Amino acid sequence: MTKKKNRFTVGWLYPDLMNIYGDRGNILTLLKRAEWRGLDARAIDLGRGAAHGMEDVDVFFFGGGQDREQALVYDDLIEIKQEPLEAAVANGSVVLAVCGGYQLLGHYYQTAEGERFPGIGLIDVRTEAGKKRFIGDVVVDTTLEDLKPTTLVGFENHSGRTFLGAGARALGRVRVGSGNNGGDGTEGCVQGGVVGTYLHGSLLPKNPHLADYLIRRALSRRGMAELAPLDDSIELAAHAKILERAQPRAGER
Amino acid sequence: MRRTAAVWAGKATGALSRLSGLGGGTTLPGDVARAIDPTILRKLTGDLTEGSILITGTNGKTTTARLLTSIFEGMGKRVVSNRAGANLIFGATAAALRSAGPDGKLRADWGVFEIDEASLPRAVEEIQPRIAIVLNLFRDQLDRYGELEKIAKTIEAALESIPEGAQAVLNADDPRVGEIGLGLGRTPLWFGIEDPVVAMRKLPHAADARTCPKCGASLRFSAVYLGHDGIYECPNGDFARPSPGVAATDIALQGFDSVGMNIGETRVELPVGGLYNAYNAVAAFAAGTVLGVDGQYMAERMHGFTAAFGRQEKMDFRGRRLVLVLSKNPAGFNETLRTAVDMAGATHFILGLNDRKADGTDVSWIWDVDFEQLAGRAQVVVPAGKRAHDLAVRLKYAGVEARPPQTEPGRALDDLISVTPEGATAHILCTYTAMLDIRAELVRRGWAKPYWET
Ligand SMILES: [Zn+2]
Repeated sequence: MTKKKNRFTVGWLYPDLMNIYGDRGNILTLLKRAEWRGLDARAIDLGRGAAHGMEDVDVFFFGGGQDREQALVYDDLIEIKQEPLEAAVANGSVVLAVCGGYQLLGHYYQTAEGERFPGIGLIDVRTEAGKKRFIGDVVVDTTLEDLKPTTLVGFENHSGRTFLGAGARALGRVRVGSGNNGGDGTEGCVQGGVVGTYLHGSLLPKNPHLADYLIRRALSRRGMAELAPLDDSIELAAHAKILERAQPRAGER
Repeated sequence: MRRTAAVWAGKATGALSRLSGLGGGTTLPGDVARAIDPTILRKLTGDLTEGSILITGTNGKTTTARLLTSIFEGMGKRVVSNRAGANLIFGATAAALRSAGPDGKLRADWGVFEIDEASLPRAVEEIQPRIAIVLNLFRDQLDRYGELEKIAKTIEAALESIPEGAQAVLNADDPRVGEIGLGLGRTPLWFGIEDPVVAMRKLPHAADARTCPKCGASLRFSAVYLGHDGIYECPNGDFARPSPGVAATDIALQGFDSVGMNIGETRVELPVGGLYNAYNAVAAFAAGTVLGVDGQYMAERMHGFTAAFGRQEKMDFRGRRLVLVLSKNPAGFNETLRTAVDMAGATHFILGLNDRKADGTDVSWIWDVDFEQLAGRAQVVVPAGKRAHDLAVRLKYAGVEARPPQTEPGRALDDLISVTPEGATAHILCTYTAMLDIRAELVRRGWAKPYWET
């Protein structure tokens, strides 16, 4: 039993199809940071057709894909993954969804022509197609509890506009960049153990405090709430570099 | 008259920008001339006595163009070529301008142009090529190009519009290129690699484009050569790699020193290394075959080939040997790392990452590069470039102990020198403008020639 207790499992949804923005960096960061705390960390691939072991997953990761790939995962997500994912989240598993993955976890994606593609509705957000693509560095002031530093940095590249419903709160407020929709100043969402965001770059390597937040939250459901501190000087130096160089883009917000 | 004015204005701009130290004058003259006469490129390339070859694809354009240029020049032909990576329509225009005479006429036989994927439709329309080569389509610079799918569609439309009698020369091993070629109205000439010995067992993390265009199933690979290039088929049997008409076999890899291969009956020895250069050689060879050029003659020209600046450029400095290797996206970086570590036994590195427009402003792709290859094998790694700090984090999570990040090229070089013993070799693997920065520093210190002289 101790062996299982010491285990840390990352479930990577569609690693071959939804891995467009260096999403592997998020997986590596979760695994290494768990490993460095003496946990037995592993990642399981949850490709098309796979649902085995989802109940044991501590942190799910759902990345972005191109249109063609996103279309290919769509049926599988609804038919194979939705139920076990909902069950795991209800049990305290944590989810990080970026870009395309973030959109698919919401209620729907609406095209420019008004056609709606339903998502799985795990989070209270909806997305509409936009004309202009938001591309560039992003700096967010996060409201997530006890996060130090209080900033998150990343890179966004999306044309979808995501709007939060009453059930979801923002991951933070945009200081630089466009965030959820380029209008209301919010970026990402938090709803229970699910975090959605447009930030890649990759997100977790330069935001080790957010990585630890996800790990800690997932482990707390198993009664392991403490994480030993790590030397994050290299990660935080890269974080600081983005804070220093990120300038508000012309014509935005 | 408009044409002559455009040529003169363009030439003057080129001379000025060189004099004022702005750079090699590789594209600005094209802007100026096109502003005066928008049809200038069509007119100039219309003067070519033999015609043009266009080369596109994510990786290998410059080397393939240089191989073909060398083949034609050895035949006594005058060649116009857009060197130094100036591969937008303005760069091609500037190259044509440089070879134009005072009467505004282009005096040359062949045009060999490397063309950015997104610029291909315009280049085909204006240049009316005899041959269009597509090398590969890897994920690259999503911030600038958008999705791979759109680029594939753009290339497909361009290939449909090449002139009557022109030939598409395509990489059979690349599933995206295969998809494009199999949908064309005309039969392409396919090239590829047939050598299980140099294949990897599984797809690297950088691989993409792994699904069947017909049914969406994940493709099955019996061999992977580079990125997602290899021998593939759909498990449902409705899509498979076309059989290459020109193939490289019996490949011999010698680090960054050479790559040898059989192409048909001909043994080709290229004095630059890496499997990716085998692709460049077989692509150029296939184009030569279309034109009826003798295989043995092409092999001789390739044997005497010298690489373009920053692409496996070798130089001595302070008793150390430097090898500069352009490494610009996951597929390319994985392959240069593999060549460096597995085949060249490299132990001392500068890795350079910039995020200017030409590099891609989004650097998330470094997480798809298998820097893990360096763990336990590299002795010295200096993360360099504008985004050196991102590289430092990447290396940490790859289990590679690195030196402190250096954003100034001079400091990166100084740090490398301080820990590289005399007589040793160091490898400098950099993205495009990071390479320009390092090279400019080497020029400043008198170690390398400015790139427009090479
Ligand atoms: Zn199929």
